[in-house]
Amino acid sequence: MEDRLIVQKNFKYLLFGMIGIGVISMLFGFISDPERAWANYLLNNYYFISLSIGAAFFGAIQYISQSGWSSAFKRIPEAMASYIPVAGVFFLLMYFGMHSLFHWSHEGVTATDELLAHKAPYLNVPFFFFRIVLFFGLWTIMVRLLRKISLKEDEEGGMTYFYQSEKYSKVIIFIIAISFSLFAFDMLMSLEPHWFSALFAAKSFIAAFLHASTVITLIVIILNKIGHLKMLNRSHLHDFSRYIFMVSILWGYFNFAEFMLIWYGNIPEETIFFVKRSEGVFQVLFYANIIINWFIPFLFLMPRMTSRSKVYILPVIVILMIGQYTELYYYIWPAVVKGSKFGLLEIGTYLGFLGLFTLVVTNTLTKANLVPKNHPYLEESIYHQF
Amino acid sequence: MITNKKYLVGVFNDEHTLVDAFEKALQKGVVIQEVYTPYPIHEILTGMKTKTRITYAAFFYGLFGVIALIGGMYYAAVIDWPLHFGGKPFNSFPSFIVVTIVATILIITILTLFTFSARSKIYPGKKADIVDERATNDKFIIVLDQNNMGIEMPEVTQLFESNGASEVYQKEANSN
Repeated sequence: MEDRLIVQKNFKYLLFGMIGIGVISMLFGFISDPERAWANYLLNNYYFISLSIGAAFFGAIQYISQSGWSSAFKRIPEAMASYIPVAGVFFLLMYFGMHSLFHWSHEGVTATDELLAHKAPYLNVPFFFFRIVLFFGLWTIMVRLLRKISLKEDEEGGMTYFYQSEKYSKVIIFIIAISFSLFAFDMLMSLEPHWFSALFAAKSFIAAFLHASTVITLIVIILNKIGHLKMLNRSHLHDFSRYIFMVSILWGYFNFAEFMLIWYGNIPEETIFFVKRSEGVFQVLFYANIIINWFIPFLFLMPRMTSRSKVYILPVIVILMIGQYTELYYYIWPAVVKGSKFGLLEIGTYLGFLGLFTLVVTNTLTKANLVPKNHPYLEESIYHQF
Repeated sequence: MITNKKYLVGVFNDEHTLVDAFEKALQKGVVIQEVYTPYPIHEILTGMKTKTRITYAAFFYGLFGVIALIGGMYYAAVIDWPLHFGGKPFNSFPSFIVVTIVATILIITILTLFTFSARSKIYPGKKADIVDERATNDKFIIVLDQNNMGIEMPEVTQLFESNGASEVYQKEANSN
């Protein structure tokens, strides 16, 4: 099935315009309020890397579970994962903002702070960047490898590439499970180095998986709307929305489990996280996160009728994309900005990163046929029905 | 389903011949009473046009469970017998949720099971209505009611046999 994506010139100009807005608002932010600008930088970087990692994980479990239905759409997770090296460069550039973001990176802080001195062998600037290089190196190598095998399968066919993909998918989920947990500790939890929660890693990973599933669905629906991926039917939509439904329940479960244990244990070191966030906007965001990320998808995608229709899924996707933003805002802002500022800087930065992410993803999508050609489950996927 | 009725039973050896015969019979206007297969088959499920409302029932049992449990715990812990537990407020809502989740699952399961049993008239100790013993093994069975078949019997027999039925026979059901 020949199905190539051709990007319109106007669309590219729009994306460049968005990136321009992002660059301008970042520059403006660095001059006027560097801490807030770096917080924006971290939030958006983390937002889109978690989409990429979630997509890589999504693609991998399709291979491991040998799912038939999704094989025609596997180019979309692949394309989203191709953003990983770009994000890696951005995370390395965070070197210049370490002091604005991470309290533990200040000189001499270990002399007066016993806990930070205890954590110093792990939480120090050189090792921090060594971990970033290591994680992004591993992710990039694995994602590139899977992509290469997938493209070779298009040309040559046969079962060997399928088995290879399955084997490397098993490797990548182990790598992601360990490295993304540590990555979430580094990027979000170490913003407040005196607070700790073991569930935080699992929660961040589930959030990444949830929002990646929604964005995959969004891209599939958009591509279908503009005339590609013609085989998309209601059963595929039902399967995509079941992913969103299932992972949003899991998100709610992890989120609640973390909160409930901290609330019940009532240990000051742990409760400080929620005490800090129990005023003003953050109190609202605490409830808003639960409603946006769990309650709305849970209620709206439960009936068979709504979970098979684009009209109902699209608003849920948009709400969940906002939900990821509010969730990260809830983590980062009280720790870095120490207030709830939201304005043109936030919107501009988000637009900039969104433009860049879309540019990278569409660029990768144009490089190969949108439907894989010789995947052994392709037939099953095209005629998927239940 | 069992009363003193006469049945026409078509026995098929595999899925493909069954689905073929099933779809052709539907096209000709045959009224099919029931199909027994060793495993679920999509075409049969959609072709029989059987719809279940048990999911709605389950949803409302769940809603009932959540409201009843949270209400019950609130009544017990706040209104009727307030006790201090480890400095927690009387209405310690987050710790109610764990109980609510687990007990709601139990309520949904049990009430849905009862609803299903009542609707399909099965109860403990009931004898099984088996039209053909082989349907419990590896054969695929189509059952027609002789009084209401849509078309004439020889035609049906011919249709089944020409579409790969290994056996077509009549059966008088004994009521139990």
